[in-house]
Amino acid sequence: MKFWEENKKHVYWNPYFGGFMLGLLLIATFYITGRGLGATGGTKSVVVATVETVAPKYAERSEYYGKYYDEEANPMNNWLMFETIGMLAGAFLSGALSGRAKFRIQHPKHIEPNKRLMWAAVGGLLFGIGSQFARGCTSGAALSGSAVLSLGGFITMFAIFGTAYVLAYFFRKLWLN
Amino acid sequence: MKEELIISGRNLPNIDPHLHLWHWPISLYLFLGGLAAGILFFAAMVTLFGKENKFQGAVKWATIIPPIGLSVGLMALLYDLTHILYAWRLFAAFRITSPMSWGAWTLMLVTPLSFLWTLSYFKEYFPNWNWKEGLLSYLDWVIDFVNDNKKVIAWILVPSTVLLGIYTGILLSAFNARPLWNNSILGPLFLTSGLSTGAASIIMLSKSHDERRLFSMIDLVLIAIELFLIVHLIMGMMAGSQVQLEASQIIMGGEYTVAFWVFVVILGLTFPAILEIFELIGYKVPAIVPAMLVIMGGLIFRFVMVDAGQLTRYLY
Repeated sequence: MKFWEENKKHVYWNPYFGGFMLGLLLIATFYITGRGLGATGGTKSVVVATVETVAPKYAERSEYYGKYYDEEANPMNNWLMFETIGMLAGAFLSGALSGRAKFRIQHPKHIEPNKRLMWAAVGGLLFGIGSQFARGCTSGAALSGSAVLSLGGFITMFAIFGTAYVLAYFFRKLWLN
Repeated sequence: MKEELIISGRNLPNIDPHLHLWHWPISLYLFLGGLAAGILFFAAMVTLFGKENKFQGAVKWATIIPPIGLSVGLMALLYDLTHILYAWRLFAAFRITSPMSWGAWTLMLVTPLSFLWTLSYFKEYFPNWNWKEGLLSYLDWVIDFVNDNKKVIAWILVPSTVLLGIYTGILLSAFNARPLWNNSILGPLFLTSGLSTGAASIIMLSKSHDERRLFSMIDLVLIAIELFLIVHLIMGMMAGSQVQLEASQIIMGGEYTVAFWVFVVILGLTFPAILEIFELIGYKVPAIVPAMLVIMGGLIFRFVMVDAGQLTRYLY
């Protein structure tokens, strides 16, 4: 509750400056790793590893999981996993530096924490499914894709933000104060 | 496939070409032994300085871990034995040249003391029990006796926990057939790591700001020493013979490189150290996060060293 009442100017960067810094980060990532960024890839590795452990036969047969099935290699041994670990660590450090690292559920006044968590889960699920259709999420497909002038990257970018722009009106009450 | 032809008069499965005898119970036990030694060391030191009331996390709350940890660790050790019923033989003799004998007798001393230490706070953990009547009155007498002799126990615990912590490393380094283990830094390194995980547990369970601050500072110093020892472990290997050079390859580009550098050195030491520094400067970092990272790093470190060490060898 208190968080939403505070003056947050000192906490957040200017979004345009943040975007510019994200672009610089992407350049650095291409330079250091030879690849773009990715966010859902780490989650996918966890899912693939779980399915392989619980139901190896199914993972081998399935059209989706079969692509990643390899008896020798561990799907968790993937550069995206380490990128994700680094992302968590860096985000935590940055949160601590701006005094935001504490356990809490952010939610507007009229939305209960449980409701907020439920809708967050629904949104996350939809985004996860969508990112697998698009073969990448905002970072992997839209950002890294359009950075190398891939047409698919631009389409993903416009589809994600366009749909969000159109649908935001209907769900605005879930997050506006 | 990489083929190897070994011509030897020995036929020792599980020993040649690689040792395959020490499994997860050993790593777990080495971690829990070091952790218990670390916590008890700090509890004893605080008691000797007469600061029990100021640093209750160290003497009262974190000391619940050692008796449980040592019991679980010793059960893991027994579970790993092929002939469990012969375990008593370790206590039928003392061999001064055997690290295992030293460890067995040190544990024989530290484990009961760790139980007594926790017992001495039972009246404070359960203030509502009736301590004056029935069976509890006998326990009451024991608790009072232990509390009257707390300083004596602390004097015994300080050297014996150091011995316990260092023995978890010496146990491996005395193994001269496995070059990754066979160096004199492993003992101090395991001791430092045990003390560091102990300090982290105290930070986690402490309720006072001053105590968390003090143990964060202690932990930072310990992490610095640990990083220094790791650097020297590798430097020593790099300056060694071909055997040591090839042994060090397992954490310098080989199979355990990622586990060692990412999960032990970066996430288990460097990153929590950075968080603790920011916490000391005044930024708000939930104390549990760096503490958990240090403890996880210590656990993974034992697994990496035990597993990787068994793969290194003299046969070339």
